[in-house]
Amino acid sequence: MRLTGKASGGVALLAGALLALAVPMSPMRAQTAAPTGSLLDQLVGPETESDIDLAALRQQAAQRIKSRADLAPLKRPPIAPELLKLPRYDFDVVFDPDSSMIRPQSYGTIGRIADALSDPKLRPYVYLVVGHTDANGKRDPNLALSQKRADSIRDVLVGTFKIAPKRLQAIGLGEEQLQDSAHPTSAANLGAQIVAIGTVPQAPATDAPAAAKTPAAAAKKKAKH
Amino acid sequence: MIPIRVFLLVLLIAAPSLASAQQAMNYEDASALLGASCGKDIDDNCRGVNLDPARLKECFIRNGDSISAKCRDDYPRAFNAIQGRITARITLAKLCNWELNHLCGTVRQDPVKGLQCLLAATKSVTPNCNKAIIAAGFR
Repeated sequence: MRLTGKASGGVALLAGALLALAVPMSPMRAQTAAPTGSLLDQLVGPETESDIDLAALRQQAAQRIKSRADLAPLKRPPIAPELLKLPRYDFDVVFDPDSSMIRPQSYGTIGRIADALSDPKLRPYVYLVVGHTDANGKRDPNLALSQKRADSIRDVLVGTFKIAPKRLQAIGLGEEQLQDSAHPTSAANLGAQIVAIGTVPQAPATDAPAAAKTPAAAAKKKAKH
Repeated sequence: MIPIRVFLLVLLIAAPSLASAQQAMNYEDASALLGASCGKDIDDNCRGVNLDPARLKECFIRNGDSISAKCRDDYPRAFNAIQGRITARITLAKLCNWELNHLCGTVRQDPVKGLQCLLAATKSVTPNCNKAIIAAGFR
């Protein structure tokens, strides 16, 4: 069947209009407003303020390494068993070797966590980014590297995605809290975690819409870095 | 035929704006796009720069000739999506001020409860506030 010039013009116009409606959606994909429900549900925190003393935990980890306690990784107990009882999300982030630079293939993962933490459902809670290493290499440098990597993730969440800094803390546990204790040198131990450690202390936050200007003193809280 | 053609023409012109009224990319998709399209460019030209749009953009501009066409096409979209969502969240309180005052009076000063109240009051919000909520990625 042949179309007349007029009819074919109309068909072309219709096809163009339909294409124009469809094309802008395809590169971006239809987006969902919030991250997947399971991640949000996983990270709903305890309804109390955190009583985890990060400074003490860091000191405890450093002291255990210095005193050469629990030398055998296979028999090494977790340094912070209380973290294992809290709501958390385990994720893989690839870094440059011996560096805290996040590799581009992990950008999406960091973005997913940013989506979750900025969701209204999770805004009442404070989180701890936990860095780990496997048991390859020496314990001390591993502890330092895991702290730098945890700090790096926190810095990106705060700096790039504007998660309120008071909602995020970071700690590196090196190889003192192996995630696969049966296989200390396994790459499974390189993963990071985000742990819900409690509620935001009662002071106005900065990353919510109804934030009012408040005296700086009100924003002070008992920091446990 | 003419009215149909006019209608189709209007549709053709309006389509992109209708589509862009949809929600923008979330952080995950914007970040993943950046990583996928610019990963090699970052490795080759921006080693030592973390996921930081300002510093990455500065690096891409400085190394303009070496940056792949795919990255040049996609990084502005990724950065704009991230910044757009951040801006939308900052301006949400202003654009929904009426709703916060009239529907969330008792909790509006609480940043978390104020936002939750606003999102719960879906059917009562003005179109502008509704648009702002969508732009912020909360719906």
